[in-house]
Amino acid sequence: MNTHHALQFGTFITPHNRNPEATVALARHSETLGFDLVSFQDHPYQPAFLDTWTLISWVAGQTERIHIASNVLNLPLRQPAVLARSATSLDLLSGGRVAMALGAGAFWDGIVAMGGPQRSPAEAVTALDEALDILRSMMNSGSNAGLRFEGKFYTLNGVQGGPLPAHEIPIWLGAYKPRMLRLLAQKADGWLPSLGYLKPGDLQTGNRIIDEAARKAGREPGDIRRLLNISGQFAAQRQGFLHGPSAQWVDELLPLVVEDGIRTFILASDDADTMEQFAREVAPTLRQAAQEALPDAVSVPRRSATARAKRRAGIDYDGVPASLAERAVEPGDFSYARVRSNYLRGGTPGIVFRVESVDEVADALAFARRHPDLPLGIRSGGHGISGRSTNNGGIVIDLGKLNRIDVLDKAKRLVRIEPGARWMQVAAALEPHGWALSSGDYGGVGVGGLATAGGVGWLSRQHGLTIDRLRAVELVLADGSLVRADAEHNADLFWAVRGAGGNFGIVTAFEFEVYEVGNVGWAQLIMDASQPADFLVKWGAAVEAAPRDVTSFMILSPARETQPAIGYVMVLINADDADTIVQRLQPLANIAPMYDYSASIMPYAAVMANAQSSEHNAQGEPTARSGLLKHITPEFAAAAARIIESGAFYFFQIRAVGGAVADVPPEATAYAYRDANFSVTAMGANRAITNAAWEQLYPHFEGLYISFETDQSPERLADGFPPATLARLRELKLRYDPHNVFRDNFNITPQREKESA
Amino acid sequence: MSDYGHELLFGTFITPSAQPAQQAVELAIAADRAGLDLATFQDHPYQASFHDTWTLLTYVASRTQRIRVSGNVLNLPLRQPAVLARAAASLDLLSGGRFEMGLGAGGFWDAIEAMGGRRLTAGQSIQALEEAIDIMRLLWNAEERSGARLDGKFYQVRGARRGPAPAHKIETWLGAYKPKILDLAGRKADGWVPTVAYLENGLPSLAEMNAHIDAGAEKAGRPATSVRRMLNINGQFTSNSNGFLIGPPQQWAEQLAELTFTYGISAFLLAVADSATIELYAKEVAPATRELVAAERQR
Repeated sequence: MNTHHALQFGTFITPHNRNPEATVALARHSETLGFDLVSFQDHPYQPAFLDTWTLISWVAGQTERIHIASNVLNLPLRQPAVLARSATSLDLLSGGRVAMALGAGAFWDGIVAMGGPQRSPAEAVTALDEALDILRSMMNSGSNAGLRFEGKFYTLNGVQGGPLPAHEIPIWLGAYKPRMLRLLAQKADGWLPSLGYLKPGDLQTGNRIIDEAARKAGREPGDIRRLLNISGQFAAQRQGFLHGPSAQWVDELLPLVVEDGIRTFILASDDADTMEQFAREVAPTLRQAAQEALPDAVSVPRRSATARAKRRAGIDYDGVPASLAERAVEPGDFSYARVRSNYLRGGTPGIVFRVESVDEVADALAFARRHPDLPLGIRSGGHGISGRSTNNGGIVIDLGKLNRIDVLDKAKRLVRIEPGARWMQVAAALEPHGWALSSGDYGGVGVGGLATAGGVGWLSRQHGLTIDRLRAVELVLADGSLVRADAEHNADLFWAVRGAGGNFGIVTAFEFEVYEVGNVGWAQLIMDASQPADFLVKWGAAVEAAPRDVTSFMILSPARETQPAIGYVMVLINADDADTIVQRLQPLANIAPMYDYSASIMPYAAVMANAQSSEHNAQGEPTARSGLLKHITPEFAAAAARIIESGAFYFFQIRAVGGAVADVPPEATAYAYRDANFSVTAMGANRAITNAAWEQLYPHFEGLYISFETDQSPERLADGFPPATLARLRELKLRYDPHNVFRDNFNITPQREKESA
Repeated sequence: MSDYGHELLFGTFITPSAQPAQQAVELAIAADRAGLDLATFQDHPYQASFHDTWTLLTYVASRTQRIRVSGNVLNLPLRQPAVLARAAASLDLLSGGRFEMGLGAGGFWDAIEAMGGRRLTAGQSIQALEEAIDIMRLLWNAEERSGARLDGKFYQVRGARRGPAPAHKIETWLGAYKPKILDLAGRKADGWVPTVAYLENGLPSLAEMNAHIDAGAEKAGRPATSVRRMLNINGQFTSNSNGFLIGPPQQWAEQLAELTFTYGISAFLLAVADSATIELYAKEVAPATRELVAAERQR
C-alpha cells in the first residue's frame, strides 16, 4: 500500500484552560520545532478545556507557518454552515493553515447537558454525512450563489456560498466503524483515528474498507490521507510499544508507514521535552527511513483521480518541470477558480504557472515553446481590458508573485518595480518619499501590462505616459535568456518595450524615474449631459485649455428610465492649495449644470486606493474598442452622442492625454500616436452592435491604445502602430521572437514588411 | 441632564470584510496602537463577504496587546449559547480579560433561515435572548458546584458542568431598539449599544429609549447606572463644520460630550475604514471629549 503523500508530523495538545498561556506556548513550541501541524481535541462540555475553535483561532494569530487543526471537532455542538464560514475565515486570516478534523460526536450525556441533540450512532453518521456536504458546498463555492441542501438534520435555504478559503481545507474524519469509514472513503480527505482506540488488525481492516469504498466511489485509495494519533514515552531502554529510545520509536513507526500507509503521525503530548525529542530524533530519521523503503512515495505534488480527469488535451502535464510543478494550477485544482479568469474575461486555461522568480519565468517559457499551438497568456495583474491574460485550454504565466517594489537610488528617485505589483501598491510605496508615478485610473491594475503598453493616467498631461518615465527593463526573451534593455544597452528592445512590450518578452523588472508629488486635488463632478454633443465639445475644449497640472477623465452615460443623461467628470489637479484647485476646477465646472460634486485634497496614493480584492472571476468575453483623438470636434461629438443615446455602449469614457505626452517625439517609443489629446474607450454588451457603432466613430480616430482594444483583426495592428513604427517592430520581432512565442496580445507577426507585401 | 457617570470609552466599529483578509485586523491593530478602548465587529454569519466574527475577533485579540474586543453585536440565533459561553470564557482567559459580550436577538430572519437557523418572531427572539443571557451567566459562575440547569422555551441546559470562569466579569451589551428588548436590557444587561443610523427619530430617540431601560432596571431593583449607554457612530473629519460629526476634531468632541450630558452616552464606537481616522479619533477627539466631560462633571 502506497499513498504517495509526503510524511508529516503533528502535535496533539490538551486544550487545558488552567494556564491558557502554557497551552498556547506548546503550540508555538510545535512550530519552532518544525512540526507541520498542531491539533487540539474538542469537547465543549468539558469545562477544564478551552473552546477549541477559539483556541485554534488564537493560535493562528500566534504562529506563522504551522498548520492548525481540530482533532476532532464535535459536530453535534457546531452548526455546520457557521463552521464552514469560520473555517474559511480562519484559513484566509492564517494564510491557508487550517485543517478540519470532524467527529460524529460521542459522550452524548455531555452534549445533551449543553443543550445539544441526542443522536443514535446511525443518526450521528447521517448528520456527519450531511455536514460534509454542507461544508464542501460552502467552502468550495467561491461565489455568492445561493446554496440549498435538504437534510434530515441540517438544511441550507439559499445561503450565499462565500469566498474560497486560502487553500483547500482538508477534511479528516475520526472514524472507527464500517459505515463511517465508507462515508469517509466517499467524501473526506483523510482518516484520523487514535492508535490507542484501535485493536490489533483494526488499522488494516479500516484501510481495506476505505480502499474498497473509495474505488467504488470513483476515487483512488491514495487520494485519502491516512493519519494517526499516537502517544508514547521516551526512555533509555525499551519498556513497551513507543516506550523506549528514539531509535525504537522509528523502528516501530516505520511499518505503519510502509505497510499501513500512514502519512501523518500526530504526537499526543503536553510535554515540551517529549515533543522536542520526537522532532529532533524520530521525525527526521523516520522520514529518511520511509524515503528509503518507499522511494516512489516521495513528496511529489500529486493530483487526485477526480482532478486529473479535468485536464485539457494537448498539454504535457507530466512534463511540467519540477520548479513549476508545486505551484502550477490545473483545471481540477481547488485554486483554479482563483486564477482562471481575469478582471473582465472569463477563462478556462489548461494550466496556470504562478511563477516566483526569473528562472521560473524562463522555465515556464520553455514549457510554452514546447506547445506552439496553444494560446499563451501573460498576466501581471489580470486587469487587462483586452482580456489577453487568460485563454481557453492554453497556458497562462501569472507574474502576480513577482511584485517587489524597491528604491534603487533616492537622489535620482530611481525605483525598481516588478510586474506583478499593483499600481495602488506602487502609489502607496512611493507616497512616504513624497513621490508618485502616473499609471492609469484604477489601483488594481498590475504594473506589467500597463507599463509595456503606455499608461494613460492622472498625471499624464504633466508627467507623460508611464512608459515615458521608464529608464530600464530586465526581460526574459522568447528563448529564455534574461537581458537588460535601456537607452545604451539593447536600445532597440528598450524602444519596442515601451508600447509593444507584450510582443517581445516578459519584463521581470522595470526601473522608473519617478517624480515628486505632494497632496493633490481630487474632484468628481456629476453633470447634466442632456445635450451630450455640446457637453463633449465643451469638456474637450476645457481640457485642452487647462494647464498641464489638470488631468480629467469623463464617463458619459445616456438617459435611462430612472436617471437623466450624466457626465461623470473626474479631475485630478496636481496642487495642494485650495485656491489653485478651485481655480483649476472652475472652467470644467462651468460646462454644464451640476447635479452633485465632491472635491478633496488627498495624497495621490489615496486616489489610487480604489481597488479591493485582487481576485477576479469575470465571465464571458468583453468587447472594448479604443481610439485616439486629436480634438473633440463637433462632428465627432455629434456622432458619439448619437451612438451613446442609442444604447450601443454600456460604457463610454474619454481620457485626457496630450500635454507632456506630446513632448516625446513619436519615433522615440513604440507608442507613437503622441499628438492625440484624447483616448476614447467604449464597451458594449453585444459584439456586433458595438463594432457596428464603433465603425461610425472610426473615421475620426488616428490610432488606438492597444490595452483597451479587444478586436483581434489584423487591421487593428495598423491602428495600433503607424507604418514606420510597425515596420521597425516587425524587424525587431524577427530578431527577438522569430518563432512568435509571444503571439496572443496584439501580435506583430515576425515577417519583414517587404515579405508580407 | 441624564449623565450616568460612567468613565468614557472610545472604540471602533469595524466592518469584518473577508477580502482583503487582513483589512479588519489591520484596522483593529491600528486602533490598539492608537490607544482606543474597544475594537468591535458586526456579526452576520449569512453574509458571505464578511469574516466569521467569532473567528475574527479571536484572531484580532491574539494579534493585539491592550484593546478590548466585542461583537457589535453577535448574532445569537446562529450561535449556541452554552458553546458561546465557553468560547467567551476561553477568549477572555486567552486575552487576559479583554472580551465583552455584545449580543443581539437577530433580525434578518430570511438570511438566518437560509443558513439553517431557526426563524423566530421578534417577541420569541427576545425571550430566547434572555434565556441565552441566563445560560451564559450560569456557566460563567464556576464557583457554584452544581450542574447548570435552565429549561427555557428556546434554549436548555441540562446539568452542564460550569466553568471556566472568565478572566474578568464579562459585560453583556445588547443591541436594542424596541421597548420590550430595552426593558430586557434594563433588567439584565450591563450595556446597551444602538447605532445612530438606526434610530427612528434620530438622536432624540435616545431619551425615550433610555427611559425604557431605566424602567426595566427599576423593575429588577437595579440602579439605572448598572446599564452603560453606548453608541455606534459615523462621522467624517473635515476642516469646516458641516453637521453632526462632520467637521474638525474639536467639533466632534463638543458634540460627543453633549451626548454624554443629554443622553448619558459614555461609549462611542466609531465606524472606521482607515487608520488616519482612527489616529485622529484616538489622539484628538477622545482626550478632548474626556476633558469636556470631566470639566462638566466637576461643576
